[in-house]
Parts: sequence; structure tokens; C-alpha cells
Amino acid sequence: MKVMNCPLNGPRNISEFVWGGEVKPMPDETKLSDREWAEYVFLENNTAGVVREWWCHVPTSFWFIAERNTVTDEIVKTYPASEVFKARVDFAPKSERAKP
Amino acid sequence: MGALPKVFAQNQLRRSPIYRLTQAAGAFCEVINSGAVPMHYGNSDSELDRARRMAIADLSGLPRTGFKGTGTVDWLAGQGLTIGPDSNMAYRQDGGALAARLAPTEIFLIDGLEATGALIDRLNGAWNWGTEKPRKLIGYPMPRQDSHAWFMITGDAAPDMFAKICGVDLRPHKFAPGRIAQTSLAKMSGIVIRDDRGAIPAFHLLADVASAEYLWGAVLDAMSEFGGAPVGLQALRRLGEVPS
Repeated sequence: MKVMNCPLNGPRNISEFVWGGEVKPMPDETKLSDREWAEYVFLENNTAGVVREWWCHVPTSFWFIAERNTVTDEIVKTYPASEVFKARVDFAPKSERAKP
Repeated sequence: MGALPKVFAQNQLRRSPIYRLTQAAGAFCEVINSGAVPMHYGNSDSELDRARRMAIADLSGLPRTGFKGTGTVDWLAGQGLTIGPDSNMAYRQDGGALAARLAPTEIFLIDGLEATGALIDRLNGAWNWGTEKPRKLIGYPMPRQDSHAWFMITGDAAPDMFAKICGVDLRPHKFAPGRIAQTSLAKMSGIVIRDDRGAIPAFHLLADVASAEYLWGAVLDAMSEFGGAPVGLQALRRLGEVPS
């Protein structure tokens, strides 16, 4: 079986993991239309080559980031999300948001 | 083997999610901390032999709890627990409880087999966010008594049995005492903790309570080729005392 290296649990069978979509920078939601926000949430770039993706180790519910080549399905490296996301993201209450 | 008064698990306030199965297998229970626990299945001596070779015990009636979140480990250390830096390792506490560090900020605490519940009761009573604003970073309780079934699997054949249902290599030279594997077992998620009884390999198995009957049956099936069968808590306690 294909083996993936979980940053918390070490090498595990690929059947223990689920894919969670591409890692994309979050746009400023106050400056987007609903359509643009939906595109950010639901649409993938579907790049051919090395991409950064969210993956989850299901037995521990541990989310982390993997760099994977979508052409060869080779996993280049995996690391905790804390290496990318270092600060808390706060959202303004909806009433305070400006409509684009 | 002491003659135990007949305890009917269905009459107890706290009972194992698989009490129907152990009862049908002839379990003699004792009430420990208001939970009914199978102590033996009629013959403690043959159960001791079985526990050395290949056996499973239902410990779901015994005390357990958990704590999680930023500050958890510091708070527990302040309460007198000894918790090492490595995740996926279990650390023995005074009194026999085992603090399993599932992640940097998550502890799953299971009692020792004497099951006094003392440490777990004290921690559950001591945890308090207080009234300070913002709240102190001491984590939060993660109750585990009813979330997970708790089985113990013992015997020299245990690693071979696990190889049939689990992708992680649990042989003694690959999986040291105290190590934890959070992995897929018989197609469901579970936590395995190596905690030898005397010289005999032994593993705690913690998994979703809703699928406990399935897992009990799947493990029994996997261990049947090694002569495995259920044993009571008495055999596990004696395993720790008697030289093999």
C-alpha cells in the first residue's frame, strides 16, 4: 500500500488519510462578491505539478499540509499546518462588513 | 479465585458497551467505582495461562478521562503529573494511572488496573476555568468515560494477531513500552498503547464506543487462530504479579 508520512504519527497507510483540498491564500472576504467567495471555497485550481494540499490523518483527526505532484502522485513532503499558519484569523461581525 | 457475588451488569449505573457479550460468555463481574467489570469467566488459573498466550479483557468499566487544549500539559504538571515531551507516548503516574499524550496538547488518562480512580477524580474535581477574563490557558476537560471502549490485549501472540488487523508494526522490538499508535484497526480508528504486564506483551486498545461490539468480535475472530479468548481483570492483575 502507498505510505504517507504524517507529521504527528509517522508513516501510515494511505487508507488512513483523506484529502482536504488545495491550500490557498484566503482573500479579504469584505471585498468579494458571494460568487467570488464561493469560488474560493469550492473551486480548485487543479494544477498539474507540485501543489500544496490539506490532508487529514483520520484516526487522530490531525490536519496537516502535504506537497504532492499531481502528475506522478508522488508526495514530496508533509509538515504541520503551524509552519504556514502562524497567526489567528479573526472575522469581523457580519453587520460591520462593507458590501463590495 | 475468590467466590464473587453475582453482579448483573445490566443493573449497574455504569456498564460496558459490550456487557451483553461478556455476560453471554459467562463473565463474573465486580463493581469498581460504580462500573461493572468482568473479573473472571469461571476459571482464573486457565485464564492466567491464556493471558500469557493470547487474550482480550474488557476494561470499559474502569475510570478514564482526558484533557485537551493549549496549556493542558502545564496545568496537569501543576497538578503533580509527570508528562514527557514526546507525543504518542504514555507516561506512568504515581498510583498507576497512565497519561497518554496523543498530541502536544492532548492527554488521554486511563487508570491503572487497581482502578482506585483517585487521580482521575481529583483532576476532574480540580479543573476549573475560574472567573478571570480572558480565561486562563489551562485547556479543557475531554471526557473519555463514555466516548471510548477500553480493551486490553495480552500475550506473546498479540503482535502477530495485531498484524492481521492493523498496519502498524507492534512487534516488541519495533514498538517500545509506552509507545502509542493511533491508527486504523479492523477498519476503524483506534488507539493502541503498549503497557506490558510483567514480561508479557500487553496493549490497551481504545476505540469508538458505538462500534465496541463490532471491534470485540473482530479482535476475538483475529485471535482465534492463536487460541485467544476473553479473560477477566483478575488474570491481568495476576499477570503483573506472577513471574512468567
